[in-house]
Amino acid sequence: MDQRHIRNFSIIAHIDHGKSTLADRLIEVTGALSSREMAPQVLDSMDLERERGITIKAQAVRLLYQHEGETYELNLIDTPGHVDFTYEVSRALQACEGALLVVDAAQGVEAQTLANLYLALEHDLAIVPIINKIDLPSADPERVMEELMEIGLDGTEAVPVSAKQGIGIDRVLAEVVAAVPPPRGDADGPFRALIFDSRFDSYKGVLVYIRVVDGRLKVGDRIRFMATSKEFQVTEMGVFGPHPVPVDHLDTGEVGFFAAQIKTVQDTRVGDTVTGAENPARVPLPGYRPAQPMVYSGLYPVDSADYGRLREALEKLQLNDAALTFEPETSAALGFGFRAGFLGLLHMEVIQERLEREYDLTLITTAPNVVYQVTLVSGEVIRVDNPALLPPAGDIQTIEEPVVEASIITPSDYIGAVMELAQERRGIYLNLTYLDNLRAMLTYRLPLGEIMYDFFDQLKSRTRGYASLDYQLAGLEAADLVRMDILLNGEVVDALSTIVHRDRAYQKGRALAEKLRELIPRQMFEVPIQAAVGARVIARETVKALRKDVLAKCYGGDITRKRKLLEKQKEGKRRMKSVGSVEIPQEAFMAILRVED
Amino acid sequence: MSAWGLYVHIPFCQARCTYCDFNTVTGMSADDHRRYRDALIREWEGELLVDGPLVSIFFGGGTPSLVDASHLTAVVEAVDRRVGGLSETVEITVETNPGTVTPKKLRSLIQGGVNRLSIGAQALQNHHLLALNRIHNVDAIKETVAMARAEGFRNISLDAIYGLPSQTLQEWQETVDGLLMLKPDHLSLYALMVEGGTPLKNQLDRGEKTLPDGDLTADMADWAEGRLTEAGLLPYEISNFARPGHESRHNRLYWQLEPYLALGAGAHAYCSGHRWWNVRGVRRYMEFLEAGQDPMDQEEWLDPIEEMREYLWLGLRQRKGVSPRAFVDRFGVDPREAFGGVWEAVAREGLVALDEGRIQLTRRGRDLANLVARALVDAPIEVHMPHS
Repeated sequence: MDQRHIRNFSIIAHIDHGKSTLADRLIEVTGALSSREMAPQVLDSMDLERERGITIKAQAVRLLYQHEGETYELNLIDTPGHVDFTYEVSRALQACEGALLVVDAAQGVEAQTLANLYLALEHDLAIVPIINKIDLPSADPERVMEELMEIGLDGTEAVPVSAKQGIGIDRVLAEVVAAVPPPRGDADGPFRALIFDSRFDSYKGVLVYIRVVDGRLKVGDRIRFMATSKEFQVTEMGVFGPHPVPVDHLDTGEVGFFAAQIKTVQDTRVGDTVTGAENPARVPLPGYRPAQPMVYSGLYPVDSADYGRLREALEKLQLNDAALTFEPETSAALGFGFRAGFLGLLHMEVIQERLEREYDLTLITTAPNVVYQVTLVSGEVIRVDNPALLPPAGDIQTIEEPVVEASIITPSDYIGAVMELAQERRGIYLNLTYLDNLRAMLTYRLPLGEIMYDFFDQLKSRTRGYASLDYQLAGLEAADLVRMDILLNGEVVDALSTIVHRDRAYQKGRALAEKLRELIPRQMFEVPIQAAVGARVIARETVKALRKDVLAKCYGGDITRKRKLLEKQKEGKRRMKSVGSVEIPQEAFMAILRVED
Repeated sequence: MSAWGLYVHIPFCQARCTYCDFNTVTGMSADDHRRYRDALIREWEGELLVDGPLVSIFFGGGTPSLVDASHLTAVVEAVDRRVGGLSETVEITVETNPGTVTPKKLRSLIQGGVNRLSIGAQALQNHHLLALNRIHNVDAIKETVAMARAEGFRNISLDAIYGLPSQTLQEWQETVDGLLMLKPDHLSLYALMVEGGTPLKNQLDRGEKTLPDGDLTADMADWAEGRLTEAGLLPYEISNFARPGHESRHNRLYWQLEPYLALGAGAHAYCSGHRWWNVRGVRRYMEFLEAGQDPMDQEEWLDPIEEMREYLWLGLRQRKGVSPRAFVDRFGVDPREAFGGVWEAVAREGLVALDEGRIQLTRRGRDLANLVARALVDAPIEVHMPHS
């Protein structure tokens, strides 16, 4: 395809503003799929993603669009819609020259709208504003136009659309052709392409999704990944329409995928540059950084015999997920398991759910934590990704924790409530700006560890669901942090240790001990629960001994049913972990997440 | 040769209690009652009898006392004919709901051979009876017991439930004391069990009612056991108390895994490791028999190991526990040997002990009988079974 007839673009939007529906409509209108074939939201290919209404892995679709007598190749590159995957989003955007910024006609500009816009502007993308859901009774496109002006876009140029009703879709396509520049790039130069995604296919090996920046890639070419220096021979190439269609080459500016008998996505890092092995480019494309886990948690099989299966399952998941890391770890309480690193909480939940669902494992997951950078008195600097491994207080000079810069957009009425929440979470106020006379944007610096838990839920509940949140990492900051241990029956349960701010230790300790008392069922003997910082006990609760556990009635007609009931109860017990003589249910290890402030 | 019993299910009720998940129907006619009686007798005529003496007939429900007494006595007569004459010592029980009997009905029952009444009192506060959708009030309970005595019943059992929504300890004490004043020979005191699909479960789920907590319910149970023991009604099973010699013969069959046949919709029978039960639907049950077909719905076969487990966890519900000798006679192995590590574990935890040559739950074990039952219900058993 003539470079001048290619347009590469993404759709960016706040969650639920209609990104996927618009994508579906574009695919349908350009005839890539018949409407009968359209499963809702075809770009979200994993069941789990669809269930959760989120897109985790980007995909690209080639649309052929006839416009004023010419055929255009429009490559729609999908972006993950969650803050855990900001880096993946930035790589997908780097593969584009333009972006459709979709704003809900009733909701207006939200935190993610802004965050995505800034990200797109960083990549010099042409922005096509779209006001979606104009069919809604509560739609107020005039107001949204003003908000767009407020954030520096020409609101009058925004395309009014109802993706659901199919209104305005042709205008969107025409705007893509008119507003998004064709790709630049040296068609005769050495081959260079950006990897913006990859996924493992059990038949073909890894499928590498690329945007060709310079030169051409053909089936049979030998290629090299510049970050890992690994070389492979391209066995197959294709584009998605959205069903995969084989092609024998991809030219400058084009988007597609190739397979090269690659065994693991660890070799094909998102953001890395692919070049030809024979005539390599000298400089890689800018912006690559290896995936950096932000959140860690311990994964332990309830049945220690499943350790091997857990490792195999993690290895298999890692084939398709370069951001997942894991290392063997031993807990005095839980035995052998792994400390796994994730991009964020959502990534963690998805992995845990897949391990349980697809690999049929019953797991104990410890509460997630961030990575701390600890400077010891000796001057040595260590990384601590497991609270139980924090050195004794006397050995520590400083502890630094990751912080984020968070933007919160809220109706003005709730500014006070949001500020209160941010303060409770040790937030540092940075800025307040008004988007219009009804809504404002607050900016705070917050410890990542404080917003990881239920910050978003709290934000939603304190603003009646109106506030939106986006954040970006903003380095490390020293804080007065201590390790809080939990003792059951007088024994420290290492898997329940957490790192908390000293000023909040009492409050957290009390709340956690109380939560554990609710979650740990009564046992044959009384179980004291203590929270301690160092040698000092700061909270104490007791799970009273079980007094009665009997089946009141058991007569002739009932015996089979009662036997099944007993067996079922026993199955429930098997899902608990025995630590010392105490049986602890899985959810107790996540109790800290459920502690209310 | 083995002593055996007969259970006869009468599914009819005037109204359904909020906690009940038994196989019951309301709103059936007198004609239906007659049809059902005929079906019971027809089922009985087709039963394969157990080799041994029949020791008990138990009419359970539902509300057996709701139907005409002649229907029940007709079944007793049919049984009498086929076994070649019922012995005087056979226990014949009818579950009775206060408010469904008259002196005349009770007289017919006693003349027809019924010698034991099990009366569902449940509570002695009208607001609790009303809340449970019982059809009677407190006075009807007292009146029913008085009528039964007057007509000559010498073996009367009363049922009550504790742990009712909003029930206080004091109310429960009133109930137990009030029932004792009626001089029952036998008492069944049940902790309320909330079953799925019952109106009570829905009321609790919706937050309209709340149950007393586990500690209060435990206090109720402990207090009642002390009070009854003082009054000479000794606990012989987890929920059952009797004046010595008035323990229910019928229920012992269940806990000792002895054979019992069963007639009626949804009724369960057991004999030598074979358990089977009839279709639940009352009309379907009748139609099967009227068409000359077997009303059996499903069955299960326990292998000797499963039978051993059931024998032990059921047997331990009884205060007297299980005799290792009887166990050896039945299964050819000592239970302590058969249950090996599991037995040792529950003994080490102080839940079971050997007392006067019998395996029994300890005081703590009786409180935590389910812990023991759960340990036994699928315990690995490593013995070489004698060839059978």
